[in-house]
Amino acid sequence: MTAGDVIARIRENLGTTWRDAGYRDTFKFGRPTTQVRGIATTAFVTLDVIERAAAAGLNMIIPHEVTYWNDRDDQSIVEGDPVYRRKIDLMREHDIVVFRIHDHMHVQRPDFTYVGSARAIGLDPSTETAPGSHRFVVPETTLGELAAHVQRHSGARAIRVVGDPAARVSRIHLGVGYATPPVRADDVDVVISGEQQEGDGAFDSPAYVIDAAAVGVPKGWIVLGHVVSEEPGMLEMAEWIRGFVTEVPVEFVPAHEPFWVPE
Amino acid sequence: MRRARRLSRREFTALVAAGAATAARPVVAGRRQASLTVEDVIERIRANIGVPWNGETVDTLKAGDPAMRVTGIVTTALPTLAVLRQAAEAGANLVIASQPAFYSRADARTPPAGRGAGPGGRGAGAAPPAPDPIFDAKNAFVDGRQMAIFRLSDHWQARRPDPFAAAFASTCGWTADWRDDIARCDIAPVTLRELATEVKRRLGVRGGVRVVGRPDERITSVALLPGSTPIQASVAAMAQADVIVAGEVREWESTEYVRDAVHAGHGKGLVLVGRIVSEEPGMRALADWLAPLVDGVAVRHISAGDPYWRPA
Repeated sequence: MTAGDVIARIRENLGTTWRDAGYRDTFKFGRPTTQVRGIATTAFVTLDVIERAAAAGLNMIIPHEVTYWNDRDDQSIVEGDPVYRRKIDLMREHDIVVFRIHDHMHVQRPDFTYVGSARAIGLDPSTETAPGSHRFVVPETTLGELAAHVQRHSGARAIRVVGDPAARVSRIHLGVGYATPPVRADDVDVVISGEQQEGDGAFDSPAYVIDAAAVGVPKGWIVLGHVVSEEPGMLEMAEWIRGFVTEVPVEFVPAHEPFWVPE
Repeated sequence: MRRARRLSRREFTALVAAGAATAARPVVAGRRQASLTVEDVIERIRANIGVPWNGETVDTLKAGDPAMRVTGIVTTALPTLAVLRQAAEAGANLVIASQPAFYSRADARTPPAGRGAGPGGRGAGAAPPAPDPIFDAKNAFVDGRQMAIFRLSDHWQARRPDPFAAAFASTCGWTADWRDDIARCDIAPVTLRELATEVKRRLGVRGGVRVVGRPDERITSVALLPGSTPIQASVAAMAQADVIVAGEVREWESTEYVRDAVHAGHGKGLVLVGRIVSEEPGMRALADWLAPLVDGVAVRHISAGDPYWRPA
């Protein structure tokens, strides 16, 4: 089957209208006519993911995130760079085809990024207030205990937390990737999300949570990192694609958390 | 969800560079004043900053009366309530910060419209924003102690050499050498692990340091990108040094770029310290720069500290 056939099946099975106008969910390398020997889902098309996918005989990569290190995958920004040339050469060498699934993954129900994130950090689905609300009410605990639970379950190395570790918390709002919910909502104690700019944004969570701690209002923000937040759902994505692509293997090839932390 | 990034420091510099004038000698108003107002201090900054003052800037007074007499000045990266309290205890009533006081780029003293009241919600003219205990507490402290908060970010970082990068280098015990507007430092050889540990110690970071790269890699040069960095700057910096030490980046940009650069043998790593922490040395340098310009008013720096800690 061709890469175009795979995308046609994804569109048929998505359960929502495909919007062609977007710039994200498009081919980033290779062509619709490329013959597919196997499919790899991942967060990022890293050099390492390309090598591991190729070694496993998978030549179609379906990432949630970018290939050329910017949201539009604008290659003009990096085309003179040796790392870019290495990536292009490696993909060509292994007859790789890349198609990003981002916007449609977030429109799909359920949104697997949330499903995977909740699973990875150990949020019990039965504590979600309604399916797809992304609000979880857990038995009252402290921010420190909740953060430790999240770290233990995810196995992530570089989780960061803002707020008073002793703050009594129960109401969680889960965000994914760069979609961080507003931590100041009065019915939310803790926001757990992937990434958000630290200052100068539409709303600056770190500064707000620091001041909340200073006046004794229980608030917390647990920052997972973009990959830790959104990559787990690419496992669910692989399982879903397997349901309607039976001709070739479909595997989850994780990019893994990029960070480690010093002593 | 993604939003447009703000004007980068390089774009801002390009905007003002055409008419950039360097003040060789401090410009102090002809008449020595017995005491300075908030407005006077801001005017001294504008007159001496060395770059033309831009009309479109975040560098404005966020709270306080411009005619108020200044009793003391505190510089900081982030004007948290804790920093404001320490400033007031030290007798200062003007705080100059590189980051917003009221939790967003808009930096308004009232909360943004609540959930459901914004675009797509109930719409403008609906209920006023719900009371917010954090905004209320900050406003009450600022008004009760009669404090003023001025933001100085765009113009301070438009100076050359960039005071944020220069002060970051000296805090780490390095000397910056400028190439293509990037602060590059040759350092005594260390492993990436040792470098990250040393940066963490020198900057007093609690939990926020994160590293990409092989821990045992030998490092002899670093490029410094304090503040917030777009991918273009990281690509340029990675070509000049073994490791980038930065404030914050977009993870889908520079983090993944450096991960791939390391894999391809075109770079050795990225050390992220956090945006607020990365701007603290530059705001300490601001206190030293400002002190001779304000007629003996005490100027000191107070660190906001690292917002982050790690789970146990």
